[in-house]
Amino acid sequence: MVVIAWLLVPTAVKRFSRLTFFEVQAPLELAPSYVRDLQDYWSLRTRSQNDLIEAGRDLARLTASYELRVQENGELRAEVARLESLLSLPTFNSYRPEPARVVRRDFNGWWQRLVIRKGRNYNLTVGAPVIFSGGVVGRIAEVGAYTAVVEMITSPGMRLAASVEGDQRPISYQGGLNAAFAAPRGVVEFVPLDLFAAPNSPQKLVTSGLGGVFPPGLIIGQMVRLEPSTDGLFKSGEVQLDPRLSELAEVTVLVPLAPEIPPVGTPRP
Amino acid sequence: MADTVAERGGGLFEAYKGYNPRVIFFYPVVLLLLAVLAGGLAYRQLLRTEIYAEREKVQNQRRILVPGPRGNIYDREGQLLVGNRPRFAVVLYLDELRSEFRREYLKIRGAYRESGDKDLPNATQMEQIARFTVVDRYLRVINKALGRTGEVDAPALTRHFRSQLLLPFTLLDDLEPAEYARLLEQLPVTSPLQVYTSSTRSYPFGAAAAHTLGSVKIDDIDVAEDFPGADLKTFKMKGTTGRDGLEAQYDSVLQGETGGTIYRVDPAGYRIEPPLARHVPVQGKNITTSLDIDLQLAAEARLLENEMAGTAIALDVHTGEVLTLANVPSYDLNETSPRISTAKFQEIEEQGGWLNRAIQGAYAPGSSFKILTALAGMRSGWVNPDSEVDCNGYYRVGNRLFPCHDGHAHGKIKLAEAIAKSCNVFFYKHGIETTPEVIATEARRFGFDQRTGVELPNETRRMLVPDPEWKKATGRGPWQPGDTANFSIGQGFLDVTPMQMATFTASFARGQTRTTPTLIYQPNRKPQRTEAIGLPAAQYDALVLGMEECVSMPGGTAYRTLTQMASMRIPGLRIAGKTGTAQKQTPAGIINFAWFICFAPVENPQIAIAVMVEGDTPGEETGGGRYAVPVAQAILKTWWQKQQRATGTPVATSAPAAVPTARD
Repeated sequence: MVVIAWLLVPTAVKRFSRLTFFEVQAPLELAPSYVRDLQDYWSLRTRSQNDLIEAGRDLARLTASYELRVQENGELRAEVARLESLLSLPTFNSYRPEPARVVRRDFNGWWQRLVIRKGRNYNLTVGAPVIFSGGVVGRIAEVGAYTAVVEMITSPGMRLAASVEGDQRPISYQGGLNAAFAAPRGVVEFVPLDLFAAPNSPQKLVTSGLGGVFPPGLIIGQMVRLEPSTDGLFKSGEVQLDPRLSELAEVTVLVPLAPEIPPVGTPRP
Repeated sequence: MADTVAERGGGLFEAYKGYNPRVIFFYPVVLLLLAVLAGGLAYRQLLRTEIYAEREKVQNQRRILVPGPRGNIYDREGQLLVGNRPRFAVVLYLDELRSEFRREYLKIRGAYRESGDKDLPNATQMEQIARFTVVDRYLRVINKALGRTGEVDAPALTRHFRSQLLLPFTLLDDLEPAEYARLLEQLPVTSPLQVYTSSTRSYPFGAAAAHTLGSVKIDDIDVAEDFPGADLKTFKMKGTTGRDGLEAQYDSVLQGETGGTIYRVDPAGYRIEPPLARHVPVQGKNITTSLDIDLQLAAEARLLENEMAGTAIALDVHTGEVLTLANVPSYDLNETSPRISTAKFQEIEEQGGWLNRAIQGAYAPGSSFKILTALAGMRSGWVNPDSEVDCNGYYRVGNRLFPCHDGHAHGKIKLAEAIAKSCNVFFYKHGIETTPEVIATEARRFGFDQRTGVELPNETRRMLVPDPEWKKATGRGPWQPGDTANFSIGQGFLDVTPMQMATFTASFARGQTRTTPTLIYQPNRKPQRTEAIGLPAAQYDALVLGMEECVSMPGGTAYRTLTQMASMRIPGLRIAGKTGTAQKQTPAGIINFAWFICFAPVENPQIAIAVMVEGDTPGEETGGGRYAVPVAQAILKTWWQKQQRATGTPVATSAPAAVPTARD
């Protein structure tokens, strides 16, 4: 009956439904997210006054230390700007950090995605890098009115220009086929032959900054295995990613202040 | 009858009622025909399945072959001389754009129809326009991303679409690492635009040993006979084959193993993923040459200082391994990879840079040949260490006066001093006594009439050891005593290659007659053993003494360069050498070829060298002592420093005031 009813619906309505499905669905995902936050709030309300006072003090100390770091960062930023000016270096892309709560995690063998609780309402853009305290999370794949979908670096559809820390040469990083509960892994290709990595001597893989999307130096993971390819031109290998990627509750979107060009694979007619 | 007509006339269709026994006759026929059809069907569908399966496979499967990277070439110490570098290109997989092509085609057709244009292109033309438009759209996006200005080559696109649809169409080639990284990050994994990696030859030392290593040319790839899918329609990426040098000589070793992928395609020829079979290309085998890149660089640097064409060869005296094979003018091998431009080819051609003078040039060896003349004289009994000649600067042969070296009158002079000072008169006299036949026989004993057999293609056959019989046979008239005089000092009709002079020097240093040079390094290669030189020790020592005094005795032709100049001395190394300055008559005048052959250390010969520098200005003295000796000195100095480092001996940084001679 449902199928028959759907067949009878006018084409315009069906087309509209398809296009707006994500937006229509979004509140259903947002609501449980807000409920979870409320649940957390009430669970905190059950704590004693002493616990709250102690937590308040810890928070004050943390805030003070962050204030200090913010001040240091300001000084460092000014120094970097001075040196860039002296050496006539191009300025790095600037980003606006936008923290966002994770609404839903969508992990399977084909893709690994997060839905976050901010979208066009915070001027998020497709392609914007997403990070957390452990490094790269992924990049924004879709932006809705109030939510956005993040394609994670664990996803096979995610590829970026990486480099080994301290080495400028670009390496291709791509997410692997990750099972739902397995330790997240990725693969590297086009690794120069003079680089070596093994489980007991891993190499830190960071973003190269050459790709124009991710700023340089963000941690991707640890290269734990490298093997020469049969054609003798490069090595390829395996990257161990941060296990916390599968339990993220909050991420930060780096919204480019001067947006780069969008991904180039799909020209518009 | 009337009933029958009535029955028939009542309806639109003619009907037969009743049983007619004549019909029975047709039943077996129909059944037989049906049986034939069923049998044929069964035969084709059940018994000949393999044939149809094969036909279906050939019709619906395509094979794409990619070349395996070539093997690397190393020097004897493991330094990479020739390798492969990745070459990044951005390519478009046309077979993934089928629906886009179709949409664009419909759009173009609609636009033409709306405009009412009388010159409506036909369907094929509109398809081409649609393909170009789509591909150009992709290229413009790439251009914008990389700041480039590439354009679509329309004829190339048409050709590619017709004959190589399954191969990626290259939009931009030879991307910089930053460009490659940019596309890597910005191209979606599933985009028909992708970064494609191939390999091309890379030469870390540029022009070093260019003639020896050789270059490659783009060519079709070879496929092993047992490679699957031989009967399928095949698309081949281009590979490379050796054009010259070691690349050509060992092409079969260096050549990589072709890889490939077999895809199923739809009726229009578009690929269906995933592939049915995949074979990864495998890199070719590596080669370790006997070259020592440090010696090679030293030789080439010093040859370049002369600003004249020339060549230098250094051999391991015992094994014949070629340590250095330098030629100038040369060319940067990186400019030949993946292909050389016509302008660059012409430029090298005009400079004479393609010629490997060491093995392809035949020159008169000049006075460096006097060692062989003396050897022939000794073996025939006409010359001994105490043989003496009174040199007054000229030697009369018939009615003609033959000058001594630089017209100097050396006075009474013995063998060793005659070698050291390169006294022509001594060798005119004893050469004529020895006879040209004996000298020629001795030269042939050392292989001067044959190619050396070094593992390089196109070694010349123009070397010539003349004798009276040859002259008569070639219609040049009877042999004259003057011919013998010229022959004795390495002039006249005699032509040898610098490589031959190097093998002669190595053989002489070893006390034997033949050395086969080799460019392949073997760590434990056995010393060469050939026919002994056939001289008593005293006579051999006299020759060596003369060669050593050439370097160390005041008045020796190499003394000024190798001993008198403090900066050129090599402390602790005893060198035995012989200079030569051959003359050649050209339409523009007489030009010189400067020669120097040597070996060292005298007490235990390890390295033998031959250097030849072509004079380029008629009438200008291009002497071996001035132009060829410094090149050998550069090689010897580098070699000696490496030897001392290897044995832990401190390397002397300042030269002593004088080097004691063998006579001292």
